[in-house]
Amino acid sequence: MIFWPVRAGLAAAALFLSASLSFSASALEVKHDLGTTDVPDEPKRIVALEYSFVDSLAAVGVAPVGIADDNDRSRIVPAYTDIIGTDWTSVGTRAAPNLEIIASLQPDLIIADTSRHEPIYEALSEIAPTIAFDSLTGKYDVALESARIIANAVGKSAEMDARLADHEKTMEGFKSEIGDVSDLSIQFLVDNGKGVYLHTPDSYNGSLLAWFGFRSNLKPNGGGTYTDVIAQSSLEQLSEVNPEIILRGKYADPGLTDSWVGQPLYDAIDAVSKGQVFDINAHEWSRLRGVLASEVSGASLVEVMKKVAR
Amino acid sequence: MPEATNRLHATRFMPSVVLRIAVLVAAMFAAALLTLAIGQRSDVGLGNLLQLLLVDDGSLARSAVVDLRLPRLLVAGLVGANLALAGLALQAVTRNPLASESVLGINQGAALGVAIGAVMPSLIIVNLDVMAIMGAITAGIITFTIAGGLGGRLDSIRLILAGVTVGAFSFACVRFAFTLEDNLARIVLTWISADISSVSFAQVPALAVAAGLGLVASLFLAHGFNILSLGDGASQGLGLDPRRVRLLGALLAAILTGVSVSAAGPVGFIGLVVPHLSRRWFGHNHRLLVPVVALGGATLVLLADAASKLVRFPFETPLGIICALIGAPYFLYVTLSARRLA
Amino acid sequence: MTIAAQTYSGMRNRRALVLIAVTLVLIVATAIWSIGVGAVAIPADVIINTLFNLDGEKQTYIIMRSRLPRIVLAILCGGAFALSGTIIQAVIRNPLASPGIIGINAGAALFAVSLVTLFPAVPQVFMPLAACAGGLAAAAVVIVTARTRAVSAAHLALIGVAVGFVCEAGVDYFLITSSDAERSAPLIWLTGSLWGRTWGHVEIALLPLTALGGLALLLAHRLDLMGLGAETATGLGIRVPRERMVLLTLAALLASISVAVVGVMGFIGLMAPHIARHLIGGAHRLLMPLSMLVGTLLVLLADGIGRAIAPPIEVSAGILAALIGAPFFVYVMLTTAAERDT
Repeated sequence: MIFWPVRAGLAAAALFLSASLSFSASALEVKHDLGTTDVPDEPKRIVALEYSFVDSLAAVGVAPVGIADDNDRSRIVPAYTDIIGTDWTSVGTRAAPNLEIIASLQPDLIIADTSRHEPIYEALSEIAPTIAFDSLTGKYDVALESARIIANAVGKSAEMDARLADHEKTMEGFKSEIGDVSDLSIQFLVDNGKGVYLHTPDSYNGSLLAWFGFRSNLKPNGGGTYTDVIAQSSLEQLSEVNPEIILRGKYADPGLTDSWVGQPLYDAIDAVSKGQVFDINAHEWSRLRGVLASEVSGASLVEVMKKVAR
Repeated sequence: MPEATNRLHATRFMPSVVLRIAVLVAAMFAAALLTLAIGQRSDVGLGNLLQLLLVDDGSLARSAVVDLRLPRLLVAGLVGANLALAGLALQAVTRNPLASESVLGINQGAALGVAIGAVMPSLIIVNLDVMAIMGAITAGIITFTIAGGLGGRLDSIRLILAGVTVGAFSFACVRFAFTLEDNLARIVLTWISADISSVSFAQVPALAVAAGLGLVASLFLAHGFNILSLGDGASQGLGLDPRRVRLLGALLAAILTGVSVSAAGPVGFIGLVVPHLSRRWFGHNHRLLVPVVALGGATLVLLADAASKLVRFPFETPLGIICALIGAPYFLYVTLSARRLA
Repeated sequence: MTIAAQTYSGMRNRRALVLIAVTLVLIVATAIWSIGVGAVAIPADVIINTLFNLDGEKQTYIIMRSRLPRIVLAILCGGAFALSGTIIQAVIRNPLASPGIIGINAGAALFAVSLVTLFPAVPQVFMPLAACAGGLAAAAVVIVTARTRAVSAAHLALIGVAVGFVCEAGVDYFLITSSDAERSAPLIWLTGSLWGRTWGHVEIALLPLTALGGLALLLAHRLDLMGLGAETATGLGIRVPRERMVLLTLAALLASISVAVVGVMGFIGLMAPHIARHLIGGAHRLLMPLSMLVGTLLVLLADGIGRAIAPPIEVSAGILAALIGAPFFVYVMLTTAAERDT
C-alpha cells in the first residue's frame, strides 16, 4: 500500500507526463517569410540551404543532415564543424540545390532562403515542412531574429535565448573594446581581381559595422535607400568615398586594388595613406552571417582596430 | 544600284559634306568633354576641366582627370571607332546592312569563352582575354557555317538568323554558368557587361594601333567594298576578286572586334547603329564612310560612357548595357519603319 | 495519279508511319529510363513498387512528385516548342526561324525578370503568368505587323529579331542592376530547366497545350499552302496576312505557355522541325506529328541526362537539348541547299 499523498503525486505526475507526451506529438506553427508552416516538434533531420541557417543551428548545437555548401565542403568553417561535425550531405549549390538529394535524406524540416528559393518553395514543401528567411539581403538584426525563429522551430528556444544573451554580451564586449568610433568612417569591400564591390549600409556587413558605431561615407542615392546593396565601384568613386579604414576581402590575389597602388588617387585615400587597409577573410565576412559569424567578424574587427591610430 | 546613285545625287542638295563632317568632329569633341566632366569626384567639373587638363598642379583633381578619366575616354572613343569600322566591313562583306558583332553572335561567343575559362580554369592555360577571342572566332565560324559558308552566296537573312541563334545559345550557357558559383558569376557578369570604369593607359596602345591600322586598311578596301555591293558578277567584270576583298574585310572585322573585346569586353550594336546612321547622312561611298564611321563610333560610345556614369549616379551602369539600351531600340525602329528590307 | 506516283506516296506514308512509330517507342523507352536516373539512382524493382503502390521499398517523393511531373512536362513542352517552331518556320519561310526568333523567349524573360526585380513583393508564383504575357506581347509586335502591312516573311523575321534584342537588353539591365546578382532563380529559368517543377506546373500547362497542340496538328495542311509563297497562296484564295496572324498567334501561345512553365528552351523549336524534315520531308501533315515527337524526345533525353550527369549539379535541359541536337542540326544545315525566301 502506498501512502496516499505519494499516490496522488504519482497520479499527478502521470497526468502531466501524458499531457506533455501528447504536446510533443502535435506540431508547432512557425511564422516565416513565406507564410506559416506546421513544423514537427524537435525535428531531427534538418536540411539548411544557406550558411546563416547552419550558423543558427550550430549556435544551439543542432547538426543538420544536409547543407547547400556550393559543392565545397570547406565553406563550412571549423567554427561550425567543431560543433556540428562533418558528416552532413551536400545538397548542391545555394542557387540551385538538388531536390532529389534533399528528398533522399528524408528530412523533417527544410530551412530555405526567401529570395533564392521562393520559386521552388512549393516543391520543397512537398518534401518536408519548409520555413524561409531572408538571409541573402537581410541585415544584422534580421539575421538574429531569424536565428531566434529557427531555434524555436527546432525546439531549442531556451538554448537560443541563452546563446543570444551570451552573444549580446560578447558583442557589447567587442564594442567597448573598440570604443567610440562615431567619427571614424569605414568601408567593407570585396575585391575579386576584376572588380571592386562596396557593401553599402543596407547590406549585412554594412549594417553590422553601423551597429559597432562606425560612420559610412556612402550616401543613399535612391530616395532614402541605396539602389545597389552591393555596388560595383571604381577608383574614382572610392577616392570620393574616402573612408578612413578599409576592410578588404580578397577573392583573388593580386586584387584589383593592388594594381592601384602608386596611383595618386589611391594613395591619397585616407585609409591608404594612414596604412589602414586591412585584409580580412572574404568568405567569413561576405558569405557567412549570423550569431557565430558576427562574433568571428567582431573578433577580427577588434584585432583590426588595435592597429588603428586613435 | 540605282538606289545608291540616287543617294549620291541627293547629297548634292544637302549641306556640303565638309560641313557635315565638321559638325561630326565637333560632336565628338563635345562628347569627349562631356564624359571627361562627369564623374564621382566632386572637385572636377566643367568649369575647371580645361585648367586641370592643361596645368599640372599636382592636385587629386588633376590626377582624377588625367589618370582615370582620360584613359577611360580614350578607351571608349577607340573602342567606338574600332567597332564601327568592324561593323562597316562586316556589312560590306556580307552585303547585309544589318550585320554587326552582336547580331552575328560574335560578342556572345566571346562571353561564352570567358565563362568557360572562368568555370574550368584548370583546363585552360591561356588567360581570359584570349579565351574571349577564341570564343568570338568560334562563334563567328559556326554562324557562317550554319548560314551557308564563306565560299558561295551568303544568304542575307540566314546569316542574321544563324547569328542570333548562336548568340542565344552562347548566352544561355553563360547564364547557366552563373548558377554554379557566386564569385564566378560576378566575374563573368562584370566582364560581359563591358564595364570600363577601371581601365588604365595600358589598354590604350593596342586599341590605338588597331584603330590606326583599321582606318588605313578600311580606306584601302573602301573601293573594293563599293564594288562588292554591285554583286559578284559586276565585281569580277570590273577586275576585282570578290573573295579576296571579302576575306580581308572579314579578317579586318575580326581583328578590330577582338582587340576591342579584349580591352573593354563585348560592346554590342555600335557596329550596327553607326554605319547605318552614317549611310543615311553621308551616302554609300565607302571612301567617305570610313572616316565618318570612325568619328561617329567614337562619338556614340563617348556619349554612352557619359550616360553610364549618370544613370544611377554615383554607381556605374556598365557600358555594354547602355549601348544595348541605345542600339536595340534603334534596330527595332529600323526594322519597323523600313519599307523594304533584305 | 500514275501508278508510280501512287506507289511512291504510299511508300512515303508508310515510311512516315514507321518513323512515327519508332519515335513513339523511343519516347516511351526514354521516359521509363528517365524515371530511374538522377542524383539518386533507383533500381527497377523500387520503381515498380512505387509506381504500382506495391509492398517493398519505395521512393515516393522522388518518383511520383519529382521525376514523373518533370517527364510529363517534358513531353508536353517539348512537343509544344517543336510544333511552335514548325509553324513559325513555315510562316516565315526560313529554316532558321524559331520561337526565339520572333522575340517570344526574350519577351517572356523580360516580363518575368522585371516582375522579380521591380515588384519583389509579388509572390513568384505569378512569374509564369508574367512570362506568358511577355511572350505574347513580344510576338504581338510581329503578328500585328504581319496583319497590317504587306511585308516579306524575311522582314517579319528581322522585326522579331529586333524585338528580341530590345527585350534582351532590358533583361540584362535588370540582371546587372538588381541588388544582387545572386537572385539566380530567374537565371536558371532563363536557360530552360525542369528543376523544381511540380504537378502544379503540369496542371497549368496540360489543358492549354493539349488543346493548342491538337489545333496545330489539324491546321497542318494550311502550312503547306503558306509554304507555296505569298503570291501562290493568295492565288489559291488564302488571305495571307490573316493566315499569318492566326498561325503565328497559335505558335506564340504554344511557346509562351511552355516558356511560362519550363523557361526559355528556344532550340527545340529550331532543331526538332529540321531533324523531322530531314527524315520525312516537308509535307506538314506528316511533318507536324513527327516534329512534335522529336521535340518531346529531345527534351526527355536532355532532362534525364542533365539530372544524371554530375550530381548534385543539374545541367539545364534547355542547354543539353541544344547540345544534343546541335551536331545533327549543323549537319542538316550544311547539306541542304540554301532556301530562297520571298
